[in-house]
Amino acid sequence: MGKLRLRIQNLGYSYTGRRPTRALDGVALDVFDNEFLALVGPVGCGKTTFIRIVAGLLAPTQGTVVWDGVPIRTPSPERGYVFQEDAVFPWMTVRDNLEFGLLAKRLDTAARATVTRALVRLIGLEGYETAYPRELSAGMSKMVEVARVLATDPSILLLDEPFASLDAQTRARLQGELATLWEQRRKTVLLVTHDVEEAIHLADRIIVFSSRPGRVKAEVAVDLPRPRTLELRLSPAFSAIKRAVWAELGLTGGPAP
Amino acid sequence: MILGFASVVGIVAVYTLLAHACGRPDLLPPLTTLVATLRSLVSGQVVAPPGGHVHPSNQIAYLLAGDVTLQGALLASTTRVLFGVGVGGALGVLAGLAMGWNRTVDEYLHPIYVLVRSIPPLALVTYVMLWFGHGEAHRLIPVAYAVFTTVVIPTYHGVRDVSDVYVRAARSLGASRRSLFTRVVLPAASPFVLSGLRYALIIAWMTTVGVEMLMGEDGIGHLIVAGGLWSSRVEIGVDPAVVIVGVLGLATVGFAMDVAARTLADSLTFWTRERRS
Amino acid sequence: MSGRSRTVSRGAVALIVLALAYGIVAEAGGPILPRRIWVGAHYIEDVELIPRYASLSEEAVFLVRSGILQGGITVSGLRVLGGFLLGALVGVTLGGTMAWATRFGYLLEPWVVLFRFTPALALLPLYVLWFGLGEASKILLIATGVAIVTLHGAFEGVRGIPRVYLDSAASLGAPRHAVLRGIVLPAALPHVLSSFRIAGALAWVTIVVAELIKPTMPSLGYLLALSGAYPRIPTLVVALATIGVLVLISDALAVAAYQRATGWMRRRNG
Repeated sequence: MGKLRLRIQNLGYSYTGRRPTRALDGVALDVFDNEFLALVGPVGCGKTTFIRIVAGLLAPTQGTVVWDGVPIRTPSPERGYVFQEDAVFPWMTVRDNLEFGLLAKRLDTAARATVTRALVRLIGLEGYETAYPRELSAGMSKMVEVARVLATDPSILLLDEPFASLDAQTRARLQGELATLWEQRRKTVLLVTHDVEEAIHLADRIIVFSSRPGRVKAEVAVDLPRPRTLELRLSPAFSAIKRAVWAELGLTGGPAP
Repeated sequence: MILGFASVVGIVAVYTLLAHACGRPDLLPPLTTLVATLRSLVSGQVVAPPGGHVHPSNQIAYLLAGDVTLQGALLASTTRVLFGVGVGGALGVLAGLAMGWNRTVDEYLHPIYVLVRSIPPLALVTYVMLWFGHGEAHRLIPVAYAVFTTVVIPTYHGVRDVSDVYVRAARSLGASRRSLFTRVVLPAASPFVLSGLRYALIIAWMTTVGVEMLMGEDGIGHLIVAGGLWSSRVEIGVDPAVVIVGVLGLATVGFAMDVAARTLADSLTFWTRERRS
Repeated sequence: MSGRSRTVSRGAVALIVLALAYGIVAEAGGPILPRRIWVGAHYIEDVELIPRYASLSEEAVFLVRSGILQGGITVSGLRVLGGFLLGALVGVTLGGTMAWATRFGYLLEPWVVLFRFTPALALLPLYVLWFGLGEASKILLIATGVAIVTLHGAFEGVRGIPRVYLDSAASLGAPRHAVLRGIVLPAALPHVLSSFRIAGALAWVTIVVAELIKPTMPSLGYLLALSGAYPRIPTLVVALATIGVLVLISDALAVAAYQRATGWMRRRNG
């Protein structure tokens, strides 16, 4: 196991307002270097709240989140965030989208072009550099978003149900592409999802959240060989892990006999 | 909410300071004069402001001599606005429905509508007067006309852009063309129509006040200029206290009408409310 | 494609029929309609309530030869433009700031809500009092009307920016000015530009009344009022038509700007 990167202790969050809600309660979690960690849980268990806190978009109401020894207070390009919604800027071309974070880093034109060219090739969108997002399919658009986040070379990727709004086939394909991408460029990844297969396919370790308020209910290790292909999903080992996670989520009676 | 309250108090305080610093009650009347003016215009009897500044234009006395009160003027204007929204709104909705629903009608009428819309309603006042004489008609027609041109477009888009999904679903359920229109298209377009009518209310107020300023014998526009733009009163100087009180009265009634319209619209289109999370 | 050409030809047919119908009504109406009308205090002789094309063209030629029409277009057009630019600048700045800096927004909100329903025209007598009988009153009156509308456009535009774009820009490390330039401006622009369209129409309505403040000649508003007061109906109709054309032109400009700025939006089918 690598060095400790992210340490979360006793994390709690309450929404105030007309109907106050306790979204998270006493969450403790350690994330290690170059680890792919997935977080699954029922709808409304505070998964998104959790990852937004790690991104620095929300301030916790209780507990601490420490990244490389420094408490997280604000968003930073160090922690690349891929959103659930379509966050590609529709008024910018693919290239301008990819360069947005680089401009903030004050890279010169040549350096930006190098990074952008490599990323366009990585996601297979050569020839689409000057296209607007409306000309792309939903899956392509999502990959532009992933690439835009990778452009600034973050130390951790935060994926908030990134493929939730895509159709099943595109989702499976992009999950495969993401797995390949990750195997090429190892990075620490925190993935939030309600898709158990997605979690198993991609992650080294799965954290199961309880329903509201969200707490860490269980941890399931995924000891499947890499590189992982879509074929793997049909294997008995995959099914066994799926059964275990489902059991923790309360979807089946218990582990197989 | 607290900030809003603070802002009201703040503006009143700033205004008082400004009026004091300026030292010209004939340009920026102090708060006490405004209150006295309000009381005069509501009660119909001259209430002398403390300190005794009476504006040289004597606008209050002129208005009161003609039995003009603030509430009376607002009522007269409100009636015109409601008439305009009623008649112009009905015609505008009909035209919008016809153009939105039937493509042929749209193709023939749209250019004519664009032509008609390009004429500012207030520019029509004098021409209409030549036809109908100096009566109520030439005040009401421009208001109705203004509302008409405003309401057509939102209705038109509401009907034309009803999601194809609803139309196809209704067709496949065997809806006749008639029930498709009354049961699907009309309800789906109604939020657009209602928001168009709400906007038309603003236009109706603007036209009404403009018409009353130009040619009115009563109403809030008449109160503000007291005798019309054509008289020399504007040049010798109006009483700013009357204008400020009139404008605040106008703002209050306009706001109240919008709240009423919004409440009505919300209860009519309850199904557009967001799903409970 | 054929649908489009049919739309155009049907539109042309409608306009031609309208023009012909007007001509016929004007010719036929001449003998029937009263030529002596009562306006409030006295009779006016020799009035053509629906002027024939002949009278209209004669009048138009006169107005152009004497330079009254061109002068009026220039003077009124410049007033509208000046008032529009000033009002849009103030309105967009205030509205954008109110939406962006929430606390500042709360502070101004009650006043904005209240005055949204107040026609700027009602302020005319006050403006005359405060700013005199010259150009300033006219331009400021137009600017006030425009500012109220564009303020709302900018406010709604900035408030309506999907949260995810702002969050996304922040987590990509964009500093405040980059967010403003890269996200807020382009995302709010469609709303702002569609409010410009409304404000442009409003400016032309306002000028008709504003130009009655100490009216001087060349000015379309005064031409309109004067020809109504005498009355000279052919002049009135020519003045109305001129204002109509100017409104159409400014509206077309606003629509073109809107379409140029929103090319990136998803287009509706059909």
